[in-house]
Amino acid sequence: MGPVRKAVLVLRRDFSVERASREGLVTVLPFVAAVVVLAGLAFGPQMQVLRATAAGTAWLAVLVAAVPLAQVLVGGERREDAWDLLRGLTTPGALFAGKTAATWLWLTGVWFLAQGLAVVLMGGRLSVTAVAGGVFGTLGVAVVTAVLALLTTAGTRRGGLLAVLLLPVSLPALLAGTETATVSGARWLVLLACYDALLLAVTWVVLPALMEE
Amino acid sequence: MPAHRNPRRIWAWLVALAATTALVLGFVVAPEDAVQGQAQRLMYVHVPAAWLAYLAFVAVLVCSVGYLTRRDLKWDRRAQAAAELGVGMTALTLAMGSLWGRPIWGVWWVWDPRLVTTAVLLLIYVGYLGIRGLSDDPTVSARRAAVVGILGFVDVPVVHFSVVWWRTLHQPPTLLTPSANPPIAPLMLLALVAALLAFTLAGVWVFLRRLHSLETHADSEHRSEANAAPRRGTPVRVLPGRRG
Repeated sequence: MGPVRKAVLVLRRDFSVERASREGLVTVLPFVAAVVVLAGLAFGPQMQVLRATAAGTAWLAVLVAAVPLAQVLVGGERREDAWDLLRGLTTPGALFAGKTAATWLWLTGVWFLAQGLAVVLMGGRLSVTAVAGGVFGTLGVAVVTAVLALLTTAGTRRGGLLAVLLLPVSLPALLAGTETATVSGARWLVLLACYDALLLAVTWVVLPALMEE
Repeated sequence: MPAHRNPRRIWAWLVALAATTALVLGFVVAPEDAVQGQAQRLMYVHVPAAWLAYLAFVAVLVCSVGYLTRRDLKWDRRAQAAAELGVGMTALTLAMGSLWGRPIWGVWWVWDPRLVTTAVLLLIYVGYLGIRGLSDDPTVSARRAAVVGILGFVDVPVVHFSVVWWRTLHQPPTLLTPSANPPIAPLMLLALVAALLAFTLAGVWVFLRRLHSLETHADSEHRSEANAAPRRGTPVRVLPGRRG
């Protein structure tokens, strides 16, 4: 069985677990909706201000949702010792790729939910470059989330460290993703593509060290 | 070794001499800025602190790569010492920048590329130091820290370009410009270069002292573990008062 097929099996397994437990659906998605609604209350009620902050609010929701999502997709298995079972069944690279793909699909869904709510509640726009930015940007955040979740969720100490590291390292996605919703958004897609390429390259290099546990 | 030939002592004297020279040049000899007044003198601390912070984070990157390739904990201790120095200097850079910004810009903070990049660096490397406390096993801790050290540094140029494209308010480079005539008075330039040199020498001294402290601590832990292990042939007592 090739590594891509193994990664797809890990991805399918994660969705089967989610279908059975609905943990992400119950915790992450309502959290995202709450962030957008509260942002509307905090920045409102002037529509001009809300419209200007809509894209940024959606991306902020994605970044803060990545923290509980990491706990759902990676942290739980590590603490319940299911991680070693998974390691025994597949190669480290396929396991990491499958987890990253699951995180990416989740974050893309989160982005569409947050952006949709921002369009309806805050008068934001949804352009082609913004959608492309959503897809590219969530890929970078997914890679960072998977890497940092593996490093920080093995035990119960310093639970807040994931957020401390994830949020600043994901800053390019937040900034560039927000700017893709503007008139000159196309050049920010270049930055997002470079960010993703750099992260993927570095992760590929450090993967053996990352997956030793 | 005679005290006067001790390399550490010589280095300490060099640092003291460089620091004194920089202080005199920066706060006495260099003229006051025509527009910014005395507040401009904060530059002689702010710029060298930023320079030293970046130097320290490059050292963290190199030592992190060194640990992952060699798996020798000496590289990890070097990375830790460099990161601690870098975090301190980054905090100093931000503090000095705020103190300078208040009278000049009228605010303590602006969303400028340089400030944002620097604040992000501080958060990343505070997180880098925090990740060391997640495991009691030094090799596990070192491996995790090395991954974060590499990932964190790679993020720096991307953050820098993203905020540069976004907006800029911070002044452009003064020294590192393609122009043959940097936009700074000669005495001010001399004071700035002296401050850069003093900070670099002091930074290396602090780094070496901290590294020595970490290595001494590691050696003493290693010795106490070796002493605690039972010697071969020694009877091991299973219950107090009885022979095993």
